[in-house]
Amino acid sequence: MKTKFMAMAAIIAALYIAVTYTLSFLSFGDIQFRIAEIFNHLIAFNPRYMLGVVLGVFISNLFSPLGWFDLVFGVAHSVICLTILIIVSKYVKNIAYRMLINSFVFTFMMWIIALELKLALELPFWLSWLTTAIGEAVVLLIGIPIMQLLDKRLNFKNLIDQ
Amino acid sequence: MMEKMIFGRFIPGDSFVHQLDPRSKLIFTFIFVVIVFLANNVATYGLLLIFTLFVILISRIRLYFLINGLKPVIILVIFTFLIHILFTREGDVLLNLGFLEVYEGGLRQGIFISIRFVVLVFVTTILTLTTSPISITDGLEVLLNPLKKFKLPIHELALMMSIALRFIPTLMDETDKIMKAQMARGSDLGAGPIKDRIKAVVPLLVPLFVSAFKRAEDLATAMEVRGYRGGEGRTRYRQLKWDAKDTTCIFALVLMTALLVFFRS
Repeated sequence: MKTKFMAMAAIIAALYIAVTYTLSFLSFGDIQFRIAEIFNHLIAFNPRYMLGVVLGVFISNLFSPLGWFDLVFGVAHSVICLTILIIVSKYVKNIAYRMLINSFVFTFMMWIIALELKLALELPFWLSWLTTAIGEAVVLLIGIPIMQLLDKRLNFKNLIDQ
Repeated sequence: MMEKMIFGRFIPGDSFVHQLDPRSKLIFTFIFVVIVFLANNVATYGLLLIFTLFVILISRIRLYFLINGLKPVIILVIFTFLIHILFTREGDVLLNLGFLEVYEGGLRQGIFISIRFVVLVFVTTILTLTTSPISITDGLEVLLNPLKKFKLPIHELALMMSIALRFIPTLMDETDKIMKAQMARGSDLGAGPIKDRIKAVVPLLVPLFVSAFKRAEDLATAMEVRGYRGGEGRTRYRQLKWDAKDTTCIFALVLMTALLVFFRS
């Protein structure tokens, strides 16, 4: 692994966590807008962002109060969804469509988190899936225009490769 | 703003739990999370509670910090409790309000699951309260070392984790600074219709990304200049030491598992 790539991935992970903790005040009504979730869209621009994002999810879950369920299920959720996105990206070249597909995959795959809640807390599976999926869908869909605006300035595709 | 941002929430100390090797604490927590599910009656849940209280006692962590750890999930605990009370229909009816019936089984289930939840949160919180994030990383690296056989870059991952942990506070400060700078320029972050708020996020994230990537580049250069070339033959400044305390801790866990298996119905 090249040193530069490692440093980039580590800093993206740190950024993911810093944003999760500092910008948590940005809520729209009742929906907590976990703005760091939009980092998942980075992979639509360049698959090389994946390691950093997954590492960010790993570290933030390592210190989450719910403990290691979040670690296993949360990381699995991210890895599976982002891998699907990378495979899909081979066939879909339009980045907006990729992000749309990404939002859909993440939302659908929330059953993994619902399963976690079912196993750990015996909460009804369908209800948890519905509530967690709605939150995820809203965040990721709102994330699409934000990422597009950011990309205009930052050019995500080349930012990590330069 | 800083007090909200204590990430990892490590509190230095020299209690029994603080002195344990991070490896034994990680193994302990990992197994504890599994054996919690063995409990299924009053005796076993009682055992779990007593055991957890004992761990809290010897960690000499002030209850205040533990309660703080519970805060972000307290709504989920209450929600879980209510769901079980409302939807489990077993045993005698304890309370009948016409539209609402509370069953004995539901109440019991609600209390049990809440205990499980709280116990899990407490034990994992104690791990992060008594172990610095950097020792957790060291411990993880050693424990995951066998995975190197499967070509997983464990050393690199652990190093990236240390770097990330090192930069989290820096980037938090940075976010804070940029936020204040944009507010001073008249940006209104928490108000207005959704469209405006989305737009307000952009001038926040652009400088944040730019400066973060700049840092990553500087860091990579610094590492290369200092001759970093991977984990092969690298020596460590912080040495991990496994002693009798750690063996005792694992032994206590084995004993607890045996008791849970014995008393569960």
